[in-house]
Amino acid sequence: MSNLNLPMYPSFILPFMPPLLSWRRFFAWSVAAVVLLCVACGRATAGPLAIEIIGGGANQIPITVLPFAGEDRFAQRIGQIVSADLQRSGLFRLGSIGSVRPLPAEPSEINYRYWKNEGAETMVIGSVSETTDGHAEVRFRMMDIAKQSQVLGFSFTITVPQVRMTAHKIADLIYEKLTGDAGVFATKICYVTKSENRFELQVADADGFNSDFILAHREPIISPQWSPDGTRIAYVSFERRKPIVFVHNLLDGTRTVLANFEGSNSAPSWAPDGKKLAIVLTKDGTSNLYVISADGSGLNRLTSSQSIDTEPSFSPDGKYILFTSDRAGGPQIYRMRADGQAEAERLTYEGSYNVTPRYSPDGKSFIFIHRNEGRFNVAVQEIASRQMQILTAGGFDQSPTYAPNGKMILYASEVKGRGILAAVSSDGRIKQRITAQSGDIREPAWGPLPSNRRKE
Amino acid sequence: MRNNLFALCLAFMLAACASQGQKSADIEQRDLFDQQQAEQRQQAAKAQDADKQAKVAKEQEELKRQLDEQQRRQQSEQPVVKPMPGTGVGGSQLKGDAWAQLKEPGSPLAKRSVFYEYNRYEIRAEYVPVIEAHSKFLMDHTDLKIAVQGNCDDRGSREYNLALGQRRADSVKRAMVLLGVGDKQIETVSFGAEKPVAFGQDEESWAKNRRADIVYTNEPQ
Repeated sequence: MSNLNLPMYPSFILPFMPPLLSWRRFFAWSVAAVVLLCVACGRATAGPLAIEIIGGGANQIPITVLPFAGEDRFAQRIGQIVSADLQRSGLFRLGSIGSVRPLPAEPSEINYRYWKNEGAETMVIGSVSETTDGHAEVRFRMMDIAKQSQVLGFSFTITVPQVRMTAHKIADLIYEKLTGDAGVFATKICYVTKSENRFELQVADADGFNSDFILAHREPIISPQWSPDGTRIAYVSFERRKPIVFVHNLLDGTRTVLANFEGSNSAPSWAPDGKKLAIVLTKDGTSNLYVISADGSGLNRLTSSQSIDTEPSFSPDGKYILFTSDRAGGPQIYRMRADGQAEAERLTYEGSYNVTPRYSPDGKSFIFIHRNEGRFNVAVQEIASRQMQILTAGGFDQSPTYAPNGKMILYASEVKGRGILAAVSSDGRIKQRITAQSGDIREPAWGPLPSNRRKE
Repeated sequence: MRNNLFALCLAFMLAACASQGQKSADIEQRDLFDQQQAEQRQQAAKAQDADKQAKVAKEQEELKRQLDEQQRRQQSEQPVVKPMPGTGVGGSQLKGDAWAQLKEPGSPLAKRSVFYEYNRYEIRAEYVPVIEAHSKFLMDHTDLKIAVQGNCDDRGSREYNLALGQRRADSVKRAMVLLGVGDKQIETVSFGAEKPVAFGQDEESWAKNRRADIVYTNEPQ
């Protein structure tokens, strides 16, 4: 749990050149976050996660990331972590780090002609040094080699255990500067592991490091969903021999029952204000959608169909809810107004099985699971044009979840009968596969951006 | 006495079937898939249904007549039997018998699972005898309770499967209640795709996981 205690971040961050990013935004960063996938060491039973990258973007951005001066005195090497983050995104091509030593750590130490000959266009340099009582100073700059000028420059005063997350934040700065999209390396993910008769709900950095379970039980756990502020996770647990929805507070490890009505209680989806959730109950007959306050009060019924209505997903503006319904025979995806007024509108017509809709962060499209000739794949559909694209090629893909920048999708898949996680870029080009050392991984959910980095 | 009871139950069941024709049709309408195939299947099923219903109505009439006769005979012949309070033996002894009856090999009562087609929750004809047997048993032993646990194969969506499993469990409960079992005797729960009994990624395993299990509360092992 300790790694979930927030805030765990920078005590002091200061840009030392004309700031290209507001330092206030940085200063405010306090929620630990994460990104893509790598190698994780957790003390959970499922063990470390291994990440394999398959394919890459067509036009990769060249970048040279040099080891940070002094980094080998720390357990976590910043240059390596930044490089791994950028590489995993599939959008960057990492350049040679040359043969001349020592490596530059400050602009005055750069031999621009040499690095130009090495093919460097944009170069990341920096240093890390221990200061007093467990604190460290990290300095980082991104240089334009042709112009011999600085693009980004920041220093961070942190505690030593924050070195790894600082590296992810540096990777986010670089990613944001060079792609124009928010970086998601410093965000968190959660997922469920199953080994023998033990289910664990785990929280980890987005690269799979620092995994730890927040709940372990012999009975299944499904459908974890992060609250919009990243401090709580709602999920469905079968620990009382029937599905019940809980809300788990990551700050203090406490949890409350959100819904324990007669019948099934499931499929929580947070409203963007974090004050309400859409859930699915069978207390009045078949599975129908309801809205409930995050404290379990004020239950309000949204749908009254005789068919299955489930898997609600709130739009980012909170005005609409996507959901799965079999009202026309097989399961298809519908959109309704979140206030329950007006008829729901059917959105999917291709194929006889479309389930698990999830709104994109910009609200313009949604991802879902589409059955195509017996295969279950992640697909994306634009809401306005109704254009659909199948993104994955596995046979048993499930539970897709968007990265908070909308650029990657994490989902559950299967290889040789074992549950794994996989990720695909929203254009389908970049693919990654994440496996646990043993057992199954399933039910991923990607956490939000730290609060002050979210767009209003 | 036993025979009479059985006839009574049967009549009850048949009457229920006939009067609930509307509801069965409602269930059948779920066949309205986009695909033609499904439509054809539905038409075939409907034709069969009409046949069946006509048959059932006829049988029901005949049974009712027999039943009325039996009841008249009973009323004239049978002594009034009062339960003997305080002996304490009757109940548990009956229960012991009941549990043994449930486990009798070859009896439809020994079958506790109803299996389903992919993505569907209608009860297939071959499982009707199982449901009828358990319904009769529950009507004979109104102090007994069951849980019907709905399950699915693990493809697609866990949440949709949870809802589908609930419908499967509900379909069994609904049939049993239509046959005359007390609503309070049956509790339904769905485990969705979370409690598979077969783990292969093939039709054989999936078929085993698409089922509703009938679990008697407090049944001795």
